[in-house]
Amino acid sequence: MDIMSNLALGFSIALSPYTLMLAVAGCFLGTIIGALPGLGPSNGVAILIPITFTLGLDATSALVLMTSVYYGAMYGGRISSILLNIPGDEPALMTTLDGYPMAKQGRAGDALVLSGVASFVGAFLATIGLMLLAPMLSQVAYQFGQAEYFALYLLAFCTLGGMASNNQAKSAIAACIGLGIAMIGYDSRGMPRLTGGNLHLYDGIDFLVAIVGLFAIAEVFFFIESHGKKSSIGVKLDKVRIPWKDIYATRWTMLRSSFVGFIAGILPGAGASLGSFLAYMSEKSIAGKNGGFGKGAVKGVAAPEAGNNSAAGGALVPMLTLGVPGSGTTAVLLALLMTLNITPGPTLFTDRPEVVWGLIASLLIANFVLLLMNVPMVKIFVKVLMVPPWILLPGVTMVSFVGIYSLSGSYFDLLLMVGFGVLGYVLRKLDIPTVPVILGILLGGKMEDALRNAMVISGGDVMYLFSTPISIGLWIAAIVGFVAPMFLRRFLKKPQAITD
Amino acid sequence: MASDRIFGLVVAVVALAYIAGATQIQTSFLSDPVGPKTFPIIIGSVATIAGLFMVFKPDPEPDWPVLRTFGALFFAVVVLVLYAYALKPLGFLIPTAIAAGVLSYQIKPQALKAALSGLGLSIGLFLLFKFALDLGLVGFPKSWTG
Amino acid sequence: MSKHFFKTFAIAATLGIGAPVIATAQAAECIAPANPGGGWDFTCRQIGKIMFDIGAVDKPIQVTNMAGGGGGLAFTNVVAERNEDANLIIAASTATSTRLAQNAYAGMTADQVRFVGAIGIDPGVIVVAADSPFMTLSDLLEAVVADPASVTFAGGSAVGGFDHMKPLMLLQRAGLTDITTVKYIGLDGGGDAITQTIGGFTQAMTGDMSEIVGFLASGDVRALAVLTSERVEGFEDIPTAVEQGYDVVAGNWRGLYIPRGVSDETFDMWADRLQQVADSDEWAEAMAANGLAPFTLVGDDFQAYIDNLIVEIRQMSIEIGVIQ
Repeated sequence: MDIMSNLALGFSIALSPYTLMLAVAGCFLGTIIGALPGLGPSNGVAILIPITFTLGLDATSALVLMTSVYYGAMYGGRISSILLNIPGDEPALMTTLDGYPMAKQGRAGDALVLSGVASFVGAFLATIGLMLLAPMLSQVAYQFGQAEYFALYLLAFCTLGGMASNNQAKSAIAACIGLGIAMIGYDSRGMPRLTGGNLHLYDGIDFLVAIVGLFAIAEVFFFIESHGKKSSIGVKLDKVRIPWKDIYATRWTMLRSSFVGFIAGILPGAGASLGSFLAYMSEKSIAGKNGGFGKGAVKGVAAPEAGNNSAAGGALVPMLTLGVPGSGTTAVLLALLMTLNITPGPTLFTDRPEVVWGLIASLLIANFVLLLMNVPMVKIFVKVLMVPPWILLPGVTMVSFVGIYSLSGSYFDLLLMVGFGVLGYVLRKLDIPTVPVILGILLGGKMEDALRNAMVISGGDVMYLFSTPISIGLWIAAIVGFVAPMFLRRFLKKPQAITD
Repeated sequence: MASDRIFGLVVAVVALAYIAGATQIQTSFLSDPVGPKTFPIIIGSVATIAGLFMVFKPDPEPDWPVLRTFGALFFAVVVLVLYAYALKPLGFLIPTAIAAGVLSYQIKPQALKAALSGLGLSIGLFLLFKFALDLGLVGFPKSWTG
Repeated sequence: MSKHFFKTFAIAATLGIGAPVIATAQAAECIAPANPGGGWDFTCRQIGKIMFDIGAVDKPIQVTNMAGGGGGLAFTNVVAERNEDANLIIAASTATSTRLAQNAYAGMTADQVRFVGAIGIDPGVIVVAADSPFMTLSDLLEAVVADPASVTFAGGSAVGGFDHMKPLMLLQRAGLTDITTVKYIGLDGGGDAITQTIGGFTQAMTGDMSEIVGFLASGDVRALAVLTSERVEGFEDIPTAVEQGYDVVAGNWRGLYIPRGVSDETFDMWADRLQQVADSDEWAEAMAANGLAPFTLVGDDFQAYIDNLIVEIRQMSIEIGVIQ
């Protein structure tokens, strides 16, 4: 019954007119951001954080606003996947496989509504799962000492790295870039490091600068390179009605995919991409060769959307309870929490129940709002796709500049941001994932502290890192998570191979 | 092939320099068993190994844009850098209109539309940030308004 | 840059000269030297709001967040650019005095500003897990004196921070000669420190009363001592360190400083306003809601308290090697 009273507390916060307004605004804004080609949950949330921050919202309000944007962008991502065959970010990739063919068959409206419903089912079930599982997991956290945390951070890098790229060396480089940047500035014991004597660097490099640079500014460079060619609506959208038959036909697909997605989301570092990938793949194998997957199958639309939105909710579990994000976007949300001075971890549930339960309640509300927005109003969001890139991308750049500038008022951060933009462009060109960079900047300091603290406790005995069943288990999982994708890939071809 | 080899080499060299930098970190008198140097050195070592791995086992070459596009990208970076320097002394409106216009033109070379979108974004975002979101933006150079 | 500086300076100087007139006419500003959401932000917002609500100031006090350098950025800014601004107050706490004592503000010293007063304190505490073998503060301290490697303290501030200093002050009184052998790990806030202690990874937690209230209620931890001169209201069953024979009083006070260059009248005016806040019911409520204990020390007495505190922290920091 504890959950019910906590949830009541959450709703008492989330149902206040002000918070409700923020949630609706966040959902609306988020769906637009998700629908815009080239913007997805990660960079959309990233450019909004600095601005939210300067607005001076209190922690709960800021969190409600940004998670609504996050969920909204997850919903919105499917619009450009289905209509343009362009995923807003990686998790939306699987939706293009059957969504775009379905739209080309003249069923664009059906595909949009069906995927909207699937998103709702996935996100709703995941929020319930989060509600049940997170408090339990926060109890487990008492078993986590410094050695266990060190192994856990390592696991996050390994699984994320293993998933994010086909080439383990490249993932490792990405993680090292992030970790290396995190070391700049004062360490936790007050020693300045690797600053080159530059005063701007003594406080370290703000992760928001890195996130906005890597995600938003790099995107602009890509558009300059392609001259915005890749964006034009390839299919027509006529009447939008509710395809009851398809929804009924895919009911089990949605439930199964939600479950698969949620589990994938919980794994630290794995996240939404894995969720939508596994959901799609398992439905494909259940349907068999006659399922019509890849040619516009309704199940092929419902499965990845349910899986991806469910994984997005599942990824909040390790982020809130252990402070380890499960995906790129949750890494950005972790950045938001850290800017708001909220330390995720087991104590978050006891120290700041209003934050956690307010968040959970507003996620539930956001879901209903999004379902209402995305089914009858989907045509409005489709209009957003008409915004030409030569207005959109300069706009994104200027918002990024203003956001970062208003944080610190320093041109130095702006230069760094442009630098990160260039870095992001080069990395993506070379097929080096950028998310491990972000994760490295976010977790580098904590990871090092965990190691140093563990060694203080043990008096310098390295074996302390492997002294409990939990830490040994995490080390094994980390190694498996890093190595296994190399072998798995031979059996399950990477999704990139099947686009087009 | 070549790109990966070059990048791997760059990573390895930078990582070695990073390790060298890390060994110069001052250790405080109150030192813990690990100290401030160890972790940066571990990171540098992992990066060196991964960089060398890229040198010896490169992936297929990515499709780099033609030289002219590189010129355009370089120009975009220069514009953004100048914009960063201009924002404080020149206020928000003028540098934003110019920078946004240039970027717009670079994405799609149509002079009038680019100029209009630069102007529109500059004024529109200024109104949005200044009045709707109440951020402390300065519109024009300080010397104009006193 | 220099032009801007002189302009600010000129404005500040004008304000300083005209202070007695302008002080009532213009809205005052409170700088919270950190991001929104933390303790300093709380101090500014609460004190600012109450001052306006009870009529101590005629206009709402504007809160500015100036994060950076652990409060050092705001401190430097006030000293260099707003030294005579009579309409400026800055949130301060134990962290401010600790960092000043450790020269962490780029060579700035405490006498470059005036400390107005503190109106609340988060008392220091030493706690152990409920199943810990240590039943009293003496048990714990004697175990450390006998074998410093056997106990690790966890706290919410960095190494050399105030949470680290608390057990060191106690252990000095207990007769430990080499305090550098004491094992301490600094974590991300008191909550983490307490979790590690309940989990058995560290043997004791050093922190503030507000951080442990929830855990005391749930019975997960046992408080061995509170570092106040008298037992704290509402927690009468927790003995003080003083009554157990260790003369240490330490807590995280919340208060204000103002620029050095203002007149004595301005100093007295802010001291008086702060006293009014301290006496108000609104502040009593805010303290209760945030786990603070009453601790009112305003005006010259407070300045003396700060001076002593800084001397002690500096001495101890030199001893453990945080500063040379």
